[in-house]
Amino acid sequence: MGTVPPSGETPDADQDEPAAEATVLRMLLGAQLRRLREAAGIPAEKAGYEIRASRSKISRMETGRVGFKLRDIQDLLTLYGVLDEKEQAKVIALAGRSREPEWWTRYNDVLPDWFESYLGLESAARSIRSFETQFVPGLFQTEDYARAVTRLGHQTAPESEIERRVGLRLKRQDLLSRARPPRIWVVMDEAVLRRPIGGAAVMRAQLFRLAGVAELPGVRLQVVPFARGGHAGASGSFSILRFEEPDLPDVVYMEQLTSAVYLDQRADVEHYLEVADQLSSEALTPAATVLFIEQVIKET
Amino acid sequence: MTRPDRRQDSAKRKGTVMTSDEAPGGDDGARNVGPLPFDVTKAHQARAYDYLLGGKDNYAADRASADEAIEIYPDIVFTMRANRAFLGRAVRYLAGEAGIRQFLDLGTGIPTAGNLHEVAQAIAPDSRVVYVDYDPVVLAHARALLDSSEAGATEYIDADLRDTGTILSRAADLLDFTKPVAITLMSILHAIPEADDPYSIVAMLLDTVPSGSYLAISQFGEELMPAEAREALLASARRTSLQQYTARTREQVARFFDGTDLVEPGLVRVEEWRQDPGARGEGKSVYWCAVGRKR
Repeated sequence: MGTVPPSGETPDADQDEPAAEATVLRMLLGAQLRRLREAAGIPAEKAGYEIRASRSKISRMETGRVGFKLRDIQDLLTLYGVLDEKEQAKVIALAGRSREPEWWTRYNDVLPDWFESYLGLESAARSIRSFETQFVPGLFQTEDYARAVTRLGHQTAPESEIERRVGLRLKRQDLLSRARPPRIWVVMDEAVLRRPIGGAAVMRAQLFRLAGVAELPGVRLQVVPFARGGHAGASGSFSILRFEEPDLPDVVYMEQLTSAVYLDQRADVEHYLEVADQLSSEALTPAATVLFIEQVIKET
Repeated sequence: MTRPDRRQDSAKRKGTVMTSDEAPGGDDGARNVGPLPFDVTKAHQARAYDYLLGGKDNYAADRASADEAIEIYPDIVFTMRANRAFLGRAVRYLAGEAGIRQFLDLGTGIPTAGNLHEVAQAIAPDSRVVYVDYDPVVLAHARALLDSSEAGATEYIDADLRDTGTILSRAADLLDFTKPVAITLMSILHAIPEADDPYSIVAMLLDTVPSGSYLAISQFGEELMPAEAREALLASARRTSLQQYTARTREQVARFFDGTDLVEPGLVRVEEWRQDPGARGEGKSVYWCAVGRKR
């Protein structure tokens, strides 16, 4: 998959498609359609003929460069032998999501394209497994902590922009109270609990919040204490997202200064899976982590 | 900063009691069997099983080894699915008809659909389940992915089956050994060679629980596969896998059930045990199974 192009370079979609689309969802859906077509042994020309389109349109759909009409997807799935209504509905639901303008389009002024893609993935994920070296994960930040982190990254930004960014971050947390929230499994370095972002009072409130979210049914937090010495996560923070649709590959997401990296090739993903597996067995258990956080609160 | 004391760690979370065996490797030097080292260059039974059931928590070596096994004996895939289905039917019987509310599951594996406590708690929400596995990574997945019902509880123990005393003393934190317990050993005893005397291990487990308790086992059966394929499969595992396997005869498997009365239909292939009416056999498994009630 690689890096998502910076703003303005996204190839133009067909005229009849909405402009705001979650790029990565479209790429995932395209990849799934390609796998299904290849498994059925159907050449791209034939698939194109089925939906009255060219071979190159099929290719552009399969690489996620253009959007999809639901009708076309239905026809293609039937052609590829996916006849089960439930199976069809799953793919179509994904396609539906990839076409809808999402809530975050209202934050376009402060939202780089690469992060917009992440929000699409995050809201589609069934599980998010991540490792954090420095900061409390965005989904669990208090408003004050989020504001302090945002100021660190945008030192010269006017107050109004800071507030927009903080608003976006808090809005993301609606995910946690959704009807079927994704399972969130986070391993954190002890540094996340110790670095007093925003000062002692802000950090203390943030630690209470962490102890609280650790009790949510679908959330698991694990800390790797300093006392454990070096650990497998020397590579830095990352997230592995997994989706409801079994055919969609896991995606690894890593944020960089001005862009983000997405990996979905199995061989790449597996390196991160290995680190995540190792970290989660080295870290304190979720139950011991709650006690650890309470201990840190007592000490601060 | 002191590490939280494991004795205080009885934090209740959403009906779940999680214990504190948070130190992989443990600090009790008396153990002669340590946790499984993390190694993705060799196949791991739990991860290969995850792959065969359609999961994604597996690595290239696991898939290569499983594919090799399928090449040698295609009904391996059916066997894994049939074994999983047997677990479901056995636990439904135990929580339903047999009225069992406490389960000790040895060799938990990577969570997938229809985990033991989900099946049991769907019938009896107050079911308490202790999961045991000797792989810290597998158990990390179980802790992260399994949610107990509010009324019931789940607990996790990092220990090797051969460390039976440790397992029983830790399991006593959640289970009341004066009341009936179901002990489940699904697709695990074939990883214990004859030299480690699995019969004594099972006998020790059964000794700890009262009359009216149950034992459920599934295990690779020697007579269920032609000798040539069986030898090829075991040789392949020696080359590619972290675990080595021991096939057992019907008679050997029956020995595990000494002191119990077998529930109908007795000792059979996994797909033959109280199959749901109308279920179609798509293959023949290579696993024996039975459920016995302690006298």
